[in-house]
Amino acid sequence: MKKIYMVSIAAATMMFAGNASAVDSTGCGLGSMAWRGHEGTIPQVAAVTTNNVSFSSQTFGITSGTSGCDPQGRINGGTGRMVFNFLQNNMEQYALDAAKGSGETLATLAGILNVDEAVLASKSKENFAVLFPTQDADAVYVTVQLLEIMKA
Amino acid sequence: MLRCCFIVFLVLITFVKQSFALEVDEFAYSKDWLAVVHYQEKMFGGYKSSIDSDSFFVSGEGKTNPKKELEETIELFNSANVSRICHFPARHKLLTKHGFIDAKYPKCADYNSFYSDLRPSGVTLLFTDAYMNNPSSLFGHTLLRIDTSRKGTQLLAHGVNYGAFVDEETANPMLFAVYGLTGGYMGGFTVKPYYDIINLYNNIENRDIWEFGLDLTSYELDLFVAHLWELGHSQTPYYFFTKNCSYMLMELLDAVRPELELSKEFPLHTIPFDTVRVVDSREGMIKTVNYRPSRQSKIKNQYEQMNSRQKKALLRIVKDSEYNFEELNDEEKAGVIETAYQFVQYQNVEKILTRTEYREKSFTLLKERSNLKSEANYEPLEKGETLIKAHKSARLSLGVGSRNGENFQEIMFRPAYHSLIDNTYAYLKGAEINFLNITARHYDNGNKYVLNNVDLAGIKSLSPRDSLFKPISYTINASIDREMNPVSEEEGYVFNLKGGAGAAYELHKRLWVFMLLNAQVAYGGFLERNQWAGTGLGAGVISDFGDFRIILGAENMFATSKYASKMKYNAEAAYSITENFYVSAGYNYWDNYGKDINEVKFSIKYHF
Repeated sequence: MKKIYMVSIAAATMMFAGNASAVDSTGCGLGSMAWRGHEGTIPQVAAVTTNNVSFSSQTFGITSGTSGCDPQGRINGGTGRMVFNFLQNNMEQYALDAAKGSGETLATLAGILNVDEAVLASKSKENFAVLFPTQDADAVYVTVQLLEIMKA
Repeated sequence: MLRCCFIVFLVLITFVKQSFALEVDEFAYSKDWLAVVHYQEKMFGGYKSSIDSDSFFVSGEGKTNPKKELEETIELFNSANVSRICHFPARHKLLTKHGFIDAKYPKCADYNSFYSDLRPSGVTLLFTDAYMNNPSSLFGHTLLRIDTSRKGTQLLAHGVNYGAFVDEETANPMLFAVYGLTGGYMGGFTVKPYYDIINLYNNIENRDIWEFGLDLTSYELDLFVAHLWELGHSQTPYYFFTKNCSYMLMELLDAVRPELELSKEFPLHTIPFDTVRVVDSREGMIKTVNYRPSRQSKIKNQYEQMNSRQKKALLRIVKDSEYNFEELNDEEKAGVIETAYQFVQYQNVEKILTRTEYREKSFTLLKERSNLKSEANYEPLEKGETLIKAHKSARLSLGVGSRNGENFQEIMFRPAYHSLIDNTYAYLKGAEINFLNITARHYDNGNKYVLNNVDLAGIKSLSPRDSLFKPISYTINASIDREMNPVSEEEGYVFNLKGGAGAAYELHKRLWVFMLLNAQVAYGGFLERNQWAGTGLGAGVISDFGDFRIILGAENMFATSKYASKMKYNAEAAYSITENFYVSAGYNYWDNYGKDINEVKFSIKYHF
């Protein structure tokens, strides 16, 4: 186990060292989603019984919060994108659930990946340092790591 | 043989055509059709749809003519106008069910992808607590959730919200009030992932969410999604009190099951709380109740269960960024770390921490937590007080009393919403919203009838400060009051506007104290230049044992007019007999420039 840790951390460090600005360059690291989609003056006034969405009768559908996260081609496939889409909006809760080894986000991710929740929970906890090697790990990085871990 | 068949066939066709025409006449005014096009009966006869967009109607006269709308809708479904047909999946379902059409619904790519993204499995009514920091959400909020059949949890479900579309230009609070009351904003539906809804209400605004699972058949569920699609492309003027977020949800549910007749219950104003109660009053509609506490509720719950060593360790982390767990076992440590992490998340949202500070703290905590095998040692928050047993929001009160020895009888009416002295069961504690509270009196002496006062709007938010959370308590109040001129002893009407801010503390779960520094301006008919301004220092005690409640208050008012400077004391005790009925006794004393006012009063109060 320790070996995997070391290798992964080394790999992560190298990756980060190689392109220092890649760390959270996508704007979706811990803390950046706290106000996502709710920033600005309007929500203060009207977000609650109201929406701050400009209306167009031509479009109606599911509006997801804009994330500013760009996977830069590093995440492919339907499942991968679903994991990424979920993580970029729920990373802070996932970080806690992964550290605890239990929680709602783990059940959800297990559902998306169609794997056993207990397996995903224990792997997330064991590999916490791989998923989150530094405080600046972003959703793209965590997604890539999680998909990798679940393959192993 | 062939001939015979042909005649039978002709006869049959004529017969079917005739009965069909009859049925159209009848069906056009059936509950099902009226509900799906949102027709409301007008006061002096006739119908009008509450939806405003032309595109929502097939017929040019559709907004007011249910029959024409039905006839032309049937025509449309028998035509080849696929793009238009794709706007009306719910009408198609309804008319197919009742045998008016047998043309199959075409392949509508946009609608189909909307449906498959949702993967619906049910509908849940959501109620979020009042949010005292925003005038538009003082009364709480309701929205709907389309549950998902996806594996995992309902985090992947979708919230359906009805609200006003507010743009940058009209987003200032003054305009918001005016537009909100006069229908200046257009309202419409939006659909968002449920995790976004949780993030907004639970995590950013710290409001608890209640989830009421509705019992719908699979036909009704399909009809719901289809009708949402029809409504999604339309808009309607948004009125803060009447056609608001909660009201339109009632019309949406009525369209799905017309026998519910939910929207009829709200001819005047719609309070989110009341809509939940009305839905619950329909036999078997609510099948499950789930409670999703806000981040702040979770933190408070965990903190309360901590021992003193844990509390100390938590405060060291929060205040001094000092991670010292020496005195704790693994279980206790896990509890402290999880709570601290949630608290720094709270601080991040409140912008108390910079993002870098936040990342450092949260990362340190989580790393530490991931090395612990134990589970945290706290119990999750119980479901607590159920909304449905809370008092209703209108209140009528009858009282008798004596003012400086003069006996009086009093009637008081308040359409909404909750006073501090009312039973607080399931209401946000320490929050008061009085809207249009009117009091009239009859004095025996001289047999005179007087309008005693009108509370135009009164808001109080008392929120206790503790070692983690430091909220500001505030009050704002506009009223017209009958007051006595201490010189002439004549009475006259005064318009009072008052605002204040301060702090509240919880000495015990059932005992709160508060202090407020107030500013007041008054305009009235009997003082010099008819106006004065002043500041007052107020303090009080609230003791809440559920059915039995006491409020004590005192305020020292310093004013620009010597006649207006006064010391005021008030005390009120209340005892609830049922959830909607209580008795109370009150005492007021005003040191009124030598002409003191002494008032004692007994009332019965009824919520309905």
